[in-house]
Amino acid sequence: MHVNQEKPASSNPSDRSTEFVAVQGGGDTTSASSLLVAAYVGMWALLLLFIFLSYRRQARVEGRISELEKALDKSR
Amino acid sequence: MNKRANAIFGGLLVATACVFAYLIPFIFLKAPIAQIQAGGLAQKIFYFHVPAAYAMYLCGTVCFGASALYLYGPSDARDAWARAGAECACAFGSMVLLSGPLWARKAWGVYWTWDPRLTTTLLSVLVYVSVVVLRAFAGNGDAERKFAAALGVLGTVNLPIIHYSVLKWGGNHPTVIGQGGGGLRHPAMIQALMIGFVAMTLLAALLLWLRARLALSASRLLRIEERAIASGQLDYD
Repeated sequence: MHVNQEKPASSNPSDRSTEFVAVQGGGDTTSASSLLVAAYVGMWALLLLFIFLSYRRQARVEGRISELEKALDKSR
Repeated sequence: MNKRANAIFGGLLVATACVFAYLIPFIFLKAPIAQIQAGGLAQKIFYFHVPAAYAMYLCGTVCFGASALYLYGPSDARDAWARAGAECACAFGSMVLLSGPLWARKAWGVYWTWDPRLTTTLLSVLVYVSVVVLRAFAGNGDAERKFAAALGVLGTVNLPIIHYSVLKWGGNHPTVIGQGGGGLRHPAMIQALMIGFVAMTLLAALLLWLRARLALSASRLLRIEERAIASGQLDYD
């Protein structure tokens, strides 16, 4: 297993990273609060999508009713 | 919809809005943090995740009942409720499958693992998705409706397997409530979960009602179109 110490950051352009080496035991960078917010936002977004799809289906049914009315008016 | 049904629907809508308006601040401000090893805050996903799973069971049960009745004696109303049950089970199942992995990322270190409860839940949602896709794209004939109803019955047979999978096959999924679990150790946690159950029950009832009504309207329209074409009053070409 290849383990390496990363050098401290430098403002000198010649010291910039030229490779990425995997390190063992890195800290967990995902915060609990961001996951919590993502879960709640995602759930509400899903719910709103479901309501929007219902609205679209209702609009399609109403469109067919209008077409039916027009066709019946024509046939009279 | 008659006036009485309108009034009941309006009351249900107001009650759902009020319960959610109380629940959300309660979860974030009053329910204590727990499961420190998983970052503490991530555990608050539990108060929506579990009630959403319960709502999925509820909608699956409606789908099962209406599908079984449709297979016994077909009617537009039974088909509409079966379809609404499958659609709402998909919606709540998606909520469960979205919120669970985000919590798991903190608690287990991975978004997904082939744990028995996760796998059976995914399977169940996929069955309901297949019912929805079938009813949306395969037409409105009696054969398609019966096939979808049979799938709806089979999809719900999987629900008890999800529930007891933790006991039978183990896995990573927590068993906090019932089945030998230690329970919630703070009154505010129990309260948040109970309000969550009430909120999701009301939401499930609202969505089921809306989708069933929509499916029933579409069926009635189809019947009128068929009658008008048969009597020569209508020629769509």
